[in-house]
Amino acid sequence: MSDDHGLVEMEPTPGEKLAAIFKQREVRVATAWGVLVTAIFFVIGGWIYPSWMPTAMSTDMKSIERLIVIFTWISAPVCGIVLGFSIYTFLHRHKGDTPPADGPGFRTNSLVVGLWVIVSSALCLVAVVYGLIEMNSASAATAEHKKNAMVVEVTGSQWAWSFNYPEQGVQSHELMLPINRPVEFKIISVDVNHSFWPVQLGVKVDANRLQTTVIDTTPNKLGDIDVKCAELCGLYHAYMETSGKVMSADDFNTWVTAHQGGHTA
Amino acid sequence: MSGDTRFHVHHDAPIQVGRRERLGVRLLIVADGAFVFGMIFSYFYLRNLNANNGWIPEGGHTLSAMSGWVSVFPLIIAAITHRIAMKSGNAFKNIAPITFVVLLVGLYLQWKQLAHMPFQVDGEAEGEKIFGFEGAYASSWVLIAGANMFHYILGAFVALGVALRSRRNDLNAVLEFWRQRTVGSWLTWIAISGIACAITTSII
Amino acid sequence: MTTLDHHASVRPVPNPSKSLITKLNMGTGLVVGVIFALATYYGLGGDSAGVFENYNRTLLATMFMWSIGFMVGIGAFIGPFRWLVGKDLTDEEQLYLAGDGQGIKRYFKYCTDHKVVGIQYMVGVMALLGVGGTMAMMIRTNLIQPGSKFVGPTIYNSLVGLHGITMIIAMIIVVTGPFGNFIMPIMIGAADMAFPRLNALSWWVLFTAIPVLCSAWFLGGIPTGWTAYAPLSIQAGPGMNAFIATIIIFAVSTAVAGANITATVVAMRAKGMKWNRVPIFVVGATMSVALAIPAFPTFMVSMIMTGLDRSYATTFFDANLGGSGWLYAHLFWIMGHPEVYVILIPGVAVLMEIAPVFVRKPLFSYNAAIAGFAGITGLSILVWAHHMYMSGWMPMLNGPFMVTTEMISVPTGLIFLVILGTLWRGRPWMKLPMLGVYAFLWNFLIGGITGLYLSDVPADNYLHGSMYVTAHFHYTLMGAALTGALAGLAYWFPKMTGRMLNERAGYISFWLVQIGFQVLFLGMFIAGAEGQPRRVADYSVNFATSDLISSIGAYMIGLGMIVLLWAVIHSWRHGKIAPMNPWGSKTLEWTVPYPVPLVNFDTPPVVTSDPYGYGKAGN
Repeated sequence: MSDDHGLVEMEPTPGEKLAAIFKQREVRVATAWGVLVTAIFFVIGGWIYPSWMPTAMSTDMKSIERLIVIFTWISAPVCGIVLGFSIYTFLHRHKGDTPPADGPGFRTNSLVVGLWVIVSSALCLVAVVYGLIEMNSASAATAEHKKNAMVVEVTGSQWAWSFNYPEQGVQSHELMLPINRPVEFKIISVDVNHSFWPVQLGVKVDANRLQTTVIDTTPNKLGDIDVKCAELCGLYHAYMETSGKVMSADDFNTWVTAHQGGHTA
Repeated sequence: MSGDTRFHVHHDAPIQVGRRERLGVRLLIVADGAFVFGMIFSYFYLRNLNANNGWIPEGGHTLSAMSGWVSVFPLIIAAITHRIAMKSGNAFKNIAPITFVVLLVGLYLQWKQLAHMPFQVDGEAEGEKIFGFEGAYASSWVLIAGANMFHYILGAFVALGVALRSRRNDLNAVLEFWRQRTVGSWLTWIAISGIACAITTSII
Repeated sequence: MTTLDHHASVRPVPNPSKSLITKLNMGTGLVVGVIFALATYYGLGGDSAGVFENYNRTLLATMFMWSIGFMVGIGAFIGPFRWLVGKDLTDEEQLYLAGDGQGIKRYFKYCTDHKVVGIQYMVGVMALLGVGGTMAMMIRTNLIQPGSKFVGPTIYNSLVGLHGITMIIAMIIVVTGPFGNFIMPIMIGAADMAFPRLNALSWWVLFTAIPVLCSAWFLGGIPTGWTAYAPLSIQAGPGMNAFIATIIIFAVSTAVAGANITATVVAMRAKGMKWNRVPIFVVGATMSVALAIPAFPTFMVSMIMTGLDRSYATTFFDANLGGSGWLYAHLFWIMGHPEVYVILIPGVAVLMEIAPVFVRKPLFSYNAAIAGFAGITGLSILVWAHHMYMSGWMPMLNGPFMVTTEMISVPTGLIFLVILGTLWRGRPWMKLPMLGVYAFLWNFLIGGITGLYLSDVPADNYLHGSMYVTAHFHYTLMGAALTGALAGLAYWFPKMTGRMLNERAGYISFWLVQIGFQVLFLGMFIAGAEGQPRRVADYSVNFATSDLISSIGAYMIGLGMIVLLWAVIHSWRHGKIAPMNPWGSKTLEWTVPYPVPLVNFDTPPVVTSDPYGYGKAGN
């Protein structure tokens, strides 16, 4: 027992081990590659998705954009580690028609495996927690808006969307929404499943046959909306789209008055 | 190399072969178990969803819980007689046919039940006879009964097999014993799955 | 069951006394199958049945009877029948079934030799990939510019569905079919599979599914995509029956093959091959097929329900009468999510097997590799509803499913660790199989990270159902799993054909495919992020650039695959004769000559260590 105890004391601490690992030249070179890759992904992640995605016209869409950027940043170090070490070994490849000499025979390294599991779990946890927080704030917004939300009944059918505004008594084939007023979509399908996707609003839910689903959002920017179907629904699925507009409250009222009485736009 | 080599069939130790076969059958039972799970899951999912009150639509028929159990009893009896037969050693060949007959009776009962379901809605279209089912409850019932029937057919096949084989003297006794155990695994499983299905259909 | 053994002396001509089995082959199978099918079709009234349900019933019955008839005709039921009456197959008959001394003919028979089955699977997979790939080219040609000018929406929708299901079936068997059957038993030192007749059964049952699937073309196609969501699938035309029958037949084949491979690995390993000495490829392939055993039956249930709804007017998926499309989605994805790992894990396991050989180092942390596979396998059955975040079935459960889904990133991370650790401080020998390892690292990294966005509920609000999803799963299934399978092809080609794969053509094909792949799916990621829904025959002008980029990439892949096909065919016939162990590997399959003897080993091997003993002495 006492002998063992003496040996244990001779063992370097994990910190010292780590320091020793980083003293090796190859680790430093690979790490440098990793840092470079991380930096590239970090910079690219900040702008490519926002530049690809359409204008955000609701808080939901804005938070999706932010979330995707942050997830890219979380992933950047993962890319750095994987690609940094891959690039290093790729640059030290063996050429020729005969196999290279045997490399070092190490079979595992509990410190590295342990660190890897801890770091990847931590990154995973960050992603999970961040996602849950975003979901939570979306649910809170839903609860808050419940009272004063404007209801729009959305009906999907092969292959068109139609919108009914019960409060205003208007039916339409275009999605017209007033700015800054919470809106609650009640979605149903009369034939097969569709998926209601007002692209710039950052919400989506299936239109199920004879089952109502509900989503809500608050448009906060004036402009045009594309409404699409995101679930294969038969022959003209690709053409099951319509346009819409987020307009000022006055414009919306004008539109309502013009279309009251069951006329479709 | 292999051109001048004489091949002949080498028999692994019967106990090894028997164990291997039972493992294979048990793995297939896992697959069948997932199938039964899928049916039971569907039954309860549709029951609890009750979309548009269509689980049992207005005026729809139901079957008593007993109807489910009647077609399960033969499965249970068969599993037990098979077990008794195996315990009885040399008398196996005399008891095993009973197992087969019990399964045949069960198969007949199950067939009769399927053919006389009260759920059918008959109709006619374009001069042809068509029929449909009342609702989700009826549909789920029919599927479960159909799966039970499939179990009966396979059970009867293997029960007949071991019964016939037990009457031959030219077969390896150890291997045959293991095959009876393997068949026992299947018969026990279809009895368990039958009970699970009967419990399911007892809950309307 | 028995295995075959051989001793040195004179080979007799196998003559199983004019038994019926000597007269049956693929030809008799086709004849009996067609007779059964025609008798069923016309017996049930043919296409005179005007009512939707009745016609569907006729078609489904015809397809199943074709399959059963083929199996009768090729002699699949002789074994079970002989077992039933107690007259087991004689030794001579078993030798005959194993194809002893029958040359090329045994590939067209109900042959129980696992090496024959492996080659049958390989040719079958190549045919399926070729058909699916051609459809992919047609899809991309239609999308090369807005307007759907090439095929139009009807054919396009069918192409999407048939491309999907063809590729899914091909990818499920792409590794465990050819390599799992040909290589794996030798790798564990077994003389054959545990159940050789079931092995033949699994291949030929699968074979009967191919004409059934093709018949969809002539019955109006599959308008539902490979997911075949109800109620669209209930509404669909007669081609849908082909889909249903294909899946049910395929599920039978998968269950049989899965039980067979698992039992083989559990019960037939060589003496001394303890669980911690089993090659990682064998572990991965076994976990994959073992996961498939419980996964596919739920798909079968959903397809039987679809078939019943369509042909007997049950109401499983009719929301008007208590049914629900959500039920279909559940059953489908309870199978569907494990299924993507059934595809992925064998591909990864191939690369883990390859890496140590070409880096001349032990596999880094064998235990972490097992933990990675086991973690993925275990979690994969708890994540199915992440495909249904936006279906509205129960939004309150999106959170829990998000947690389980993102947890998969931890065992997935272990896979990267194992491969990186194996490469680290080695000097990788850049042969074709090794290039696959690097391609995998990049592709699976992109596939994994984009999966992270999709697993997140808020982000999925935007990305679900868009081209982004399509790009993501192609990165994992094609970029990772198919890359692994192709690396495996380059690696085991010498053992399976006795010849080396043409290297120059292999490199050309590799780079064409991999670069084309990046171009194609980069374009598709952009299209998805811009808001283009998936499975659309047409799109608006603002997606034109990204779709054009995608189509260019697709043609590069197509060209690369043609080069590969040429390389395989040419090398198979005229390639350089391969030495017994061209890569200097330590696994058992490289200790047997080509052609591999009927029972694989002269003397059963005894294993004393794992196959990764590369590297300098000490730790």
